[in-house]
Amino acid sequence: MNPKIERAIYIGIILVLAVLVLSFGKKQIELQESLPLTVDQLYKKLQNPKINLQIIDVRPYEPTEEEEDEAEDYDFYTLAHIPGAIPMPDCDESKTPKEALDHINYYLPTVIISKHGDPKIFQKCAKKFKIVQNVKGGMEAWLDAGYPTEEDEYTPPAAGGGGGCL
Amino acid sequence: MSMIERFLYWTAIVVLIIALVGIKGNISKLEQQVSQASAQVEE
Repeated sequence: MNPKIERAIYIGIILVLAVLVLSFGKKQIELQESLPLTVDQLYKKLQNPKINLQIIDVRPYEPTEEEEDEAEDYDFYTLAHIPGAIPMPDCDESKTPKEALDHINYYLPTVIISKHGDPKIFQKCAKKFKIVQNVKGGMEAWLDAGYPTEEDEYTPPAAGGGGGCL
Repeated sequence: MSMIERFLYWTAIVVLIIALVGIKGNISKLEQQVSQASAQVEE
């Protein structure tokens, strides 16, 4: 066989295989992103400064006076939240504190924190955010694992939007 | 075309086929996990 033709055949096969590997790789990444994160995976991601991740906390913001006595830490944002988490109760802009609303970026990779990793509220959020993942077990699992938390109201970061720095 | 060149082309083809099979396996596992997760949502 003519060496030029043989070479062209080999290169053609390699190119087709490379395109297949790339497209399957892309599909694999998309599938991985659609699965919920565990709290351990989230903690590792937050420790990596190269990963820009926005944490949206969809739990109710603060308890009423009647609720305060019986409330668990994972029930309300102000009782305990992941450092840097932005409150957005029920994934609803109308319930979001004004200072937090300005820091929500719908195009950043986002993780959703609810009380127990509720898939229904995650589905609601998934329609609003472009790249979004749920957290398995939610805030209760984060607290059970003993990872760091903050209390009190949302304080906007000094510069930039989103991000959960530990 | 030399034997060395032919060998290198075949090596690249085999490596790509192995990668493809590996990724395909991962995808089917992930698809199972996703369908289980969506079944939980429906419940």
